[in-house]
Formats: sequence, C-alpha cells, structure tokens
Amino acid sequence: MSIIVAKNIHRKFGKDKLITHVLKGIDISIEEGEFVAIMGKSGAGKSTLMYQLSVLDEPTEGTVEIDGTEVVDLNEREKTEFRLNTLGYVFQDYALVPDLSAEENVMIPLLMKGMPWEEAKLQAKKSIDEVGMVGKYPNLPSELSGGEQQRVAIARAIAGKPKILFADEPTANLDTVSGTQVVDLITSLNKNHGQTVVMVTHEREYAMGCNRIIHMEDGLVTNIEYLGRFGRGE
Amino acid sequence: MRALRIGLLLGFRQIQRANFWTTSLIIFVMMLTFLNLIAVSGILVGLIAGAEVAVREYATGDIIISAKDDEDRILDTQTFIRELESFPEITAYSVRYDGGGTLEANYKERRDLTGERDTAAVTVTGIDPIMEDEMTHLSELVVDGEYLSPDDEGKMLIGVYFLAEYAENFGDVFDTVENVKPGSIVRLSVGNISKEFEVKGIVESKVDEVNFTTFIPEREFRRLFNRLDRNADQIVVRVVDPDRNAEIKEALINSGLDDFAKIRTYEENVPKFLTDIKNTFDLLGTFIGSIGIIVASITIFIIIFINALSRKRHIGILKGIGIDRHVIEVAYVIQAAFYAVTGSLLGALVTYGFLIGYFDRNPISFPFSDGIMVADPYSTFIKFVVLFIITLIAGFIPAWIIVKQNTLNSILGRK
Repeated sequence: MSIIVAKNIHRKFGKDKLITHVLKGIDISIEEGEFVAIMGKSGAGKSTLMYQLSVLDEPTEGTVEIDGTEVVDLNEREKTEFRLNTLGYVFQDYALVPDLSAEENVMIPLLMKGMPWEEAKLQAKKSIDEVGMVGKYPNLPSELSGGEQQRVAIARAIAGKPKILFADEPTANLDTVSGTQVVDLITSLNKNHGQTVVMVTHEREYAMGCNRIIHMEDGLVTNIEYLGRFGRGE
Repeated sequence: MRALRIGLLLGFRQIQRANFWTTSLIIFVMMLTFLNLIAVSGILVGLIAGAEVAVREYATGDIIISAKDDEDRILDTQTFIRELESFPEITAYSVRYDGGGTLEANYKERRDLTGERDTAAVTVTGIDPIMEDEMTHLSELVVDGEYLSPDDEGKMLIGVYFLAEYAENFGDVFDTVENVKPGSIVRLSVGNISKEFEVKGIVESKVDEVNFTTFIPEREFRRLFNRLDRNADQIVVRVVDPDRNAEIKEALINSGLDDFAKIRTYEENVPKFLTDIKNTFDLLGTFIGSIGIIVASITIFIIIFINALSRKRHIGILKGIGIDRHVIEVAYVIQAAFYAVTGSLLGALVTYGFLIGYFDRNPISFPFSDGIMVADPYSTFIKFVVLFIITLIAGFIPAWIIVKQNTLNSILGRK
C-alpha cells in the first residue's frame, strides 16, 4: 500500500524571465515500510523533491498524497500539525536546539503532541537509549560529537513514532565511521520496526541498505534501482 | 496552555544558556529605564512635596484653624484653646495674631528730613515664642542673632525678604529696609501708634511665609494692635500621627469647635496651584520617562530581533518538526518578560531600598524647597505594568517577524 503518492510534481523558483525549473514533472509512490534513497548529483533536485514529499515545501504544480491526506491543500497550521503527527525529520547538520539538553530536544515534539511531561521524559530517554546514547540525556548538543548529535536528532525524529522518516543527507557532515553508524541505525529502524524511510544521499555506499534507489538528474527521475527487500545483497 | 508550557521551557533555557554579561547588560538597561520612569517624576514631584513638607513642618502644621468666613478672628479663642488641650492626639499648637504695619529703619541717622524714609510694609505676627518654637521650630530658622525669649519686651524677629541685603538677590521686587542687623533699632507703626523694636534675630526659610513675616511677642502685638479680646487669627496644630489629621479634625468638629472657627487639614489648606504644579511635574516626569520606555522597547526589539535572526535556522527547524509558531513566539516573549521583570524588580529595590531613604536624608537643595523623592507604590506599579506590556510587545514583534517567514527558507538560510 502506497503511503506517499506524488503526481506530476513541478517546482519552479524565481519570477518572470529568471525562473529556474528544478523539478520537471515527477511521479513517485513509496510503499509503507519501504526504505527509499534519492540520489543524484548536486543540483539534480533530490533535496527539492524530498521537501515536496515531506510537506516542507509546496510544489508549483502537482499533487502529494501522504497517508491518504492531500497535503498541498492544507493550510500552514495544518501542515505544521501534519508534520508533527505523521512525519519525522533528520537534517544534514543535526539541527538540535543548542540551549536544550539531548533529552529536552527529544521531548519537545512529544510535549507538542500533548504528551504529559513525565511521560515525554520517559519516552525521550527510551528513544535516546534506542539510538545507543544511554546516559547522555542531560548533555547539551555542544557537548556531543557530530555523530552523537545526529543520533539524538534521529531519536527526536522517531520518538513520536512517525509514519515516515525523512533524512536529508544525514551523513553529510560526519566522518565515515559516524556516517556508517547513522545509516546503520536508520536501516535498522526500517528493518526491525518497519519504519518507512526516505533518505537523500550522495553516497551510494550509504544507500545500499535501501529497498530502492531513485536516481535523479536535471529535475527528472532517470532510473529506479531495486535492491531487494532489505538491501545489502539480501 | 501547551504552547505556553513549551514556550516557557524554550524561553528559560535560552535565558539560562545566554551569555551572562549580555544578560546582565540588558537587565541593567531595563533597570535604568525603570529608574528613569520612577525617579525623574519622583524627583520632580519631590520638589513640590519637599516644599509641602517644609510648609507643614515650619509654618502650618497638620491642622490649621482660622476665622470663620463671616468672622474676622477665631471666636472665643481662650475657650477654644482649652478644648484643644483636652485632645491627647495633639502634641503642639501655636496661637498666632496677624496684622500689617510699616517698618522704618535708619530714622535716627537720617539727616535730610525731607528725603525719602527707609520704610517697608510688613506682616506682623504675634506669637508665644516657646509654643511657636515647639510647633514650628522657628528658632532653627534664625540665621543671624538670637531667637525671642518669653519675657522679651521690644524685641522682634525679622524675615529676610524685608532686608535689602538678603532680598537683593531677587531683584527689586520686595519692599525692604537697609542696613538692618541684629541689634538694630527699628520703628513699627500701626495706624497712629508706633513702637521701637530691637531686631533680635533674622529668620530665613525655604518657606516664603516665614521670610515675609516679622515676629513679635503676642503681648506686645495685642497692645500695639489694640487686640484686647485675645481672639487670634490662626492656630496651627501638630498631631501625633500626621496621617490621621483628618480623623482629628473630625473629632474637633464633632466636639463643636467649628462653631468658633474654620478647621481644615493641611491637605485642605494646600493652594490649588500647588496641587496643579505637582500634577504637572508628575505628567512631565511621566513624559520624560516615556521617552525612556521607547528607548528600552527599541533596545529589547533589537536584542530579540538579533537573537531570533541568529537562530532563524533553528526556528525553521522547530517549525519543520511540527512545533507551532506560537510556541516559538512565546519563548521570545518570555525572554522579554524576564528582562522587564528582573530590571524592574532591581529598579524597585534601588528606589525603595536606597534612593527614597537617601533623598530623605540628603534632600536636594533647591531655592524654594529641599527636594525629596516621591514614589507612590500604586503609581510605581502602574508604570511597571506599562513598561512590562510595552516590553512584551517589543519582544513579540521581532519574534513574529522571524517566525512568520517561510519554514523551508528559514531552514536553508534563504532570504
């Protein structure tokens, strides 16, 4: 069953004669529990596509249906609520709130969902444990390494049990070892918990754990590569 | 409620992790703004309040008794005084007899009898020196010579505005006599009756009523002015608790004393123009303080704007992960509220813990009063509320400007 169905997605930037046509009519559907990587060179439009699919941006043309909701029709407030309740995000530079501890960073979206304080605290600790950061709850982002911060960002993204996890080049700012650990963590979420994941990456090596790689070039999908149910040769 | 709770968490954590010195500086600015708002009007109003305190202390006391509107003097003054003495709340009083006369000096040295005489029209007040001193501490105002003794005959105190040497600083506006010092002999004429007096002392005060008066013992006054009925013109009264003077006035009226005289509290006796000046100064102080509020609100605006702008990406990310924009706005408003409350509390502490006491002990010496500082708690609270609300608005607007920007543009740092 498709959890994301995007049809004829166009995204243009600028006005009048200075229009840049970044996405030129993309049709894509992603199944529930699938792990999809979007790959391509810089400027291919992969991040822009992910922003359309993750309700962070609005296509100039086309429709995006997520979990049965036509998201293009939502107003700003509904989009924010939709993102909170349905989607999880991992950004390339961790994007943690610098003034909050690891635990509080994870708690914030849970509190926003209306979870009581103590319950949110417990859930945050559980999620932090899950990403292998046991005992790092009170640490500020500045007291964590890049890889650790990205793990906390993943904990924040999954704590609310989102239907889809979006990861925008989550390894871009990490060394190889940390990058591999982060991708393994995302892969295991998909493998063990059936988490739907859409990940943008430059590195083919990191995409090898996916079920499917969508190759893009110049705003169009040029190739779809199937890697098997759980990737890496399986 | 949810937005408030999460906004509080975000706001307080930002304050907690902010640079200590930056936060201290902002709070210091807010404290100065609060002081500007309270202290400027407080000192301006204090100028008049200081004058009022002086008038109450050195001239009128807490209750002023004078002739009824349809009478020339206080009726049956001696009976009135006996009644007055039965009130334990009254700590001191002074009976005064007022009249006008002509003071002449240097007449013994005058060679040219056709030339102009050295005279001045003066107000004469007959007093019991001891009772007046207990009541208004008149002896403390003697700047040259000595105070009157109860058994003095032919001695007077003269207010400085009648002396050319003192009054010349004010230009040629007062009717004065020249070369009069303690020991000088002057002649006081009332109608056809004249009497020589030796100037025993010169009195000077920031209360003009004192400077404009010549004081002589009441016995001599009555003789000179032929006031044999002993009915006085004014009785000034000091009570144990000045704040309860209205109650004591009521008690005096209830005992029937208002049949003999008009009884007013000090506050009722204050001329309207003085109250108007006080209100005008208060308004002026508030206006000057308002400029301070505008400066402070701009400061807060800039601080919050820079703070929010430097965190624009984090704001975008928070919105991106589903945090309602109101939560983020609340976080910045909380910061502004923290600065306003902390600054105002410190300002209030400085005002009530130090400044008011300091100015009471060391009044600012103005020509017409010893300026104190007045900060009525109610009006201070109102000014705090105004400052607080304006600061909240100044904190909200920049946060609103940044937060309303497109989420993705904020995340990507695009304009």
